[in-house]
Amino acid sequence: MTSLSSQQIERPALAPSSRLQGLRDGKLPRRLAVAALILLLAFLSLYPLSMLLYGSLHTTPPGIPGSFDLSGYRQVLTWPTAVLFANTVGISLLKTIISLALAVLFGWIIARTNTPARGALEVLITLPFFVPPILTAMAWGMLGNPQVGVINLAWRWITGSDNALVNVYSYSGVIWHMLQYSTPFLFLFVVEAFRAMDPALEEASRMCGASQWWTFRRVTFALMMPAIVTAFLLSFIRGLENFESPLFFGTPAKIEVITTAIYNSIHHQSIANYQFATALSFAIMALMFLLVLWQWRLLRGKSFQTVTGKGYSPRLIDLGPWRWLTFALCVAFFVISVVLPIGQLILGSFFQFFGFYQWDMLTLEHYRSVLGNSEVWRAFRNTFMLGLIGASTTMLLGAIVAYISTRTRWAGRQVLDVLAWLPWMMPGMVLAVGFLWGFAFLPSAISIYGTIWALLIAYVALGTPIAVRVMSAAYRQLSFDLEECSRVHGATWWQTLWRIMIALAWPSFAVGWVLTFFGIMRELSASVLLYSVGSEVLSVVLLRMWENGQAETVSVIGLMMMLLVFVFRWVQLRLIKRYISTL
Amino acid sequence: MKLKRTALAVGLASLAFPASAQDAGWDSVVAAAKKEGKVVVYSMALGAPYYLAVLKAFEAKYGIKVESLDLRASELAERVRTEQAAGRFLGDTEIITTTMIEEQRKNGDYIQAIGTVPNAKNLRAPFKATEISVPAYVQPMGILVNTRLVKPEDEPKSWDDLNDPKWKGKILADDMRPLGSGNTMFAILQKKLGAAFNEKLAEQKPVFSRDLRNDARRVARGEYPIYVPQIFAFASDLKGLPVKVVIPKEGAPYAMMEFAMLKNAAHPNAARLLIDHFLEQDSQLLYANGWMLPVVEGVADRANDDAKPFANAKLMGPALLEERPAMMELAKKLYQ
Repeated sequence: MTSLSSQQIERPALAPSSRLQGLRDGKLPRRLAVAALILLLAFLSLYPLSMLLYGSLHTTPPGIPGSFDLSGYRQVLTWPTAVLFANTVGISLLKTIISLALAVLFGWIIARTNTPARGALEVLITLPFFVPPILTAMAWGMLGNPQVGVINLAWRWITGSDNALVNVYSYSGVIWHMLQYSTPFLFLFVVEAFRAMDPALEEASRMCGASQWWTFRRVTFALMMPAIVTAFLLSFIRGLENFESPLFFGTPAKIEVITTAIYNSIHHQSIANYQFATALSFAIMALMFLLVLWQWRLLRGKSFQTVTGKGYSPRLIDLGPWRWLTFALCVAFFVISVVLPIGQLILGSFFQFFGFYQWDMLTLEHYRSVLGNSEVWRAFRNTFMLGLIGASTTMLLGAIVAYISTRTRWAGRQVLDVLAWLPWMMPGMVLAVGFLWGFAFLPSAISIYGTIWALLIAYVALGTPIAVRVMSAAYRQLSFDLEECSRVHGATWWQTLWRIMIALAWPSFAVGWVLTFFGIMRELSASVLLYSVGSEVLSVVLLRMWENGQAETVSVIGLMMMLLVFVFRWVQLRLIKRYISTL
Repeated sequence: MKLKRTALAVGLASLAFPASAQDAGWDSVVAAAKKEGKVVVYSMALGAPYYLAVLKAFEAKYGIKVESLDLRASELAERVRTEQAAGRFLGDTEIITTTMIEEQRKNGDYIQAIGTVPNAKNLRAPFKATEISVPAYVQPMGILVNTRLVKPEDEPKSWDDLNDPKWKGKILADDMRPLGSGNTMFAILQKKLGAAFNEKLAEQKPVFSRDLRNDARRVARGEYPIYVPQIFAFASDLKGLPVKVVIPKEGAPYAMMEFAMLKNAAHPNAARLLIDHFLEQDSQLLYANGWMLPVVEGVADRANDDAKPFANAKLMGPALLEERPAMMELAKKLYQ
């Protein structure tokens, strides 16, 4: 106690020299850098959220006279909203559990077994994630419609039955459509975690007499916990925020979830009820915050470092003839989730009307109209530019924040982590309103509103949580021994960062970059509110065309996007294989 | 204090923006518009080809660039509200429904007087330009039937025919509870045909959808034999498919689309010129051929043969802003 007082008294006298000392030690620049990062993240997350908090407490949106009250929150605390919550959580939980089981199965098949053509299968399994949901929704509306869906027509023709085999307009239809995205999303996390694991740990378990299943459950699965819990949580939250699937397949079956309720209260009321919509969003945010706390509690105090200084190569399990079954499982997933809907789109794009397949309606007109549409080309350019710059900026920011929060003991690191996580907890469409209000009410000298910068900033904010999670999971798996060893052998901090941390975390960075890039390519809810003339992006153009009944043109653009996705993924995988593995 | 601020704002606005030439001759408006060089329109046209054709013709005729932002009604309303409240005046004019303009006037100071436009004198009865709005076109609605599933003798001829028991569970409809064409039809038919009509229709258990532009195709594919309310123009590009739009004998409920000038528009003269251009015979003819109802004299009869019945349809309505909350509440009650 005495020494503490003495330090407090002595500090002012030592201040100039300690500041210099701090500068020499790099503490001051470090603190300034952390402060700058906190400010940047606060602008990306707290600023739009504060606008929304205002909206949830004020009877009118910003800029309109009104009064403060809690009527929005009172509306949330009602029985119909409780049913909404139960619906939303139930659907998301079920789809996350099923897709996690599938992702672990596929991850294990690809990373740890001798299944044939694993490289190709990996690319095929991840493809559904990159297809814009509006396209698959449209295609599944044609395939699984109970009255005239192709699957049901074929079923009736084969069996002579009057009943439908599948009905996409149902709870299972909503979950099925969500599964097609969450399975590859989770797979991307899980497969890397399988690869990053030292097989010596499993071998030790086996040598101690444990069975294959026991080893998988208690060693393999347990070591993958950070990646699995993070992925589960991200996927579950994404499920809570999912909009397209319940809108397309839930609304016709009178299935309402929180996002469609928010959408209806903003878009389908006589006067948009922002107070209820934002209050409902803050209620979800509270739920998500509890989930994050649960994640922290689950992972607290446990070590999951599986990448050490020891060299190893993953051991493959010989499945014998069963390898063809695992091969067939992967192919079946690809066929059902990609080939069927894309096949339907290809078919539709060559006919005058989507769904009417007559010889006299065959046409190339839709391709001609897309190729000659300058707005489409401008949207392509904007989208790719925003994707490239946005994904790179987001991942760089995410990598820095994750590094500080997981590998240092710097003051303010937890604030950074929380700030970076915040945007993930709000549904995109509500956060977009926060951005719209936020950018519009900035001082007039700061011209972000109505420019392409508004989209870029929103994309970085929306992508940062996932970038931080991906990089945090990667850093957590790296042993501190590696860094210490490098420093002991005379490497500088920068050399250690470059040759150890960046080199080992690079594959995760690449995965995060791909997730962010395609997240930007597909992003709709923020784009639709923030775009302006000249800053249109593809998702908005697709939505507008869809709303205008141009399903055939949407198919053509969707197929062009798919082609680009294939090329892009191929180039990216080639680059990773050639350069990153040797970094 | 407030007065001083208003005076200051007016003074600054007069310095910042080119003076509107509304009191001078139309030639000076045209000259001022060309000097402004561009006009920004907010619309709900959803990229309709006739809308784009009118804009293209305007650009070609005057050399003035048109930047059009196509938005859904609710997005458009929120964008205008936010921009006006934040003092960012990006849009010049908007084409929205009469009720939305009334709502904007009720909720804030977002629009300004348009001034006279020469072609407004050609408006046909009952359409009239006011100080703050100019009619652009009319969007009427009818009944869509699948011609393979509905025999000619069974086709509904009136709105009441929808309540025939044979159509129970077979009607696809735009959701009548939220804001949109479904609720517009609900409100107008409630007023014109009486409360019993909507009560009986609710007993028919129509299946709701919100996918306005694709619902006609669902009917064409045979998912449902009937769809209401079918906006005429949205079926005009379905030639070759087994569908037919029926104009009921009582008439067609409609949404009136009008121009309004946004407050502190940066290009007020170009906006006025564009509004005037929309009322040209050729512009209105493009709309009439797209099965919209033109608002100027002498166009409906010049429309293509297949478009004439729609361009001359008997109208029912309009829906009124003050009745909207009660109608939405009633629809929610009937269709719980």
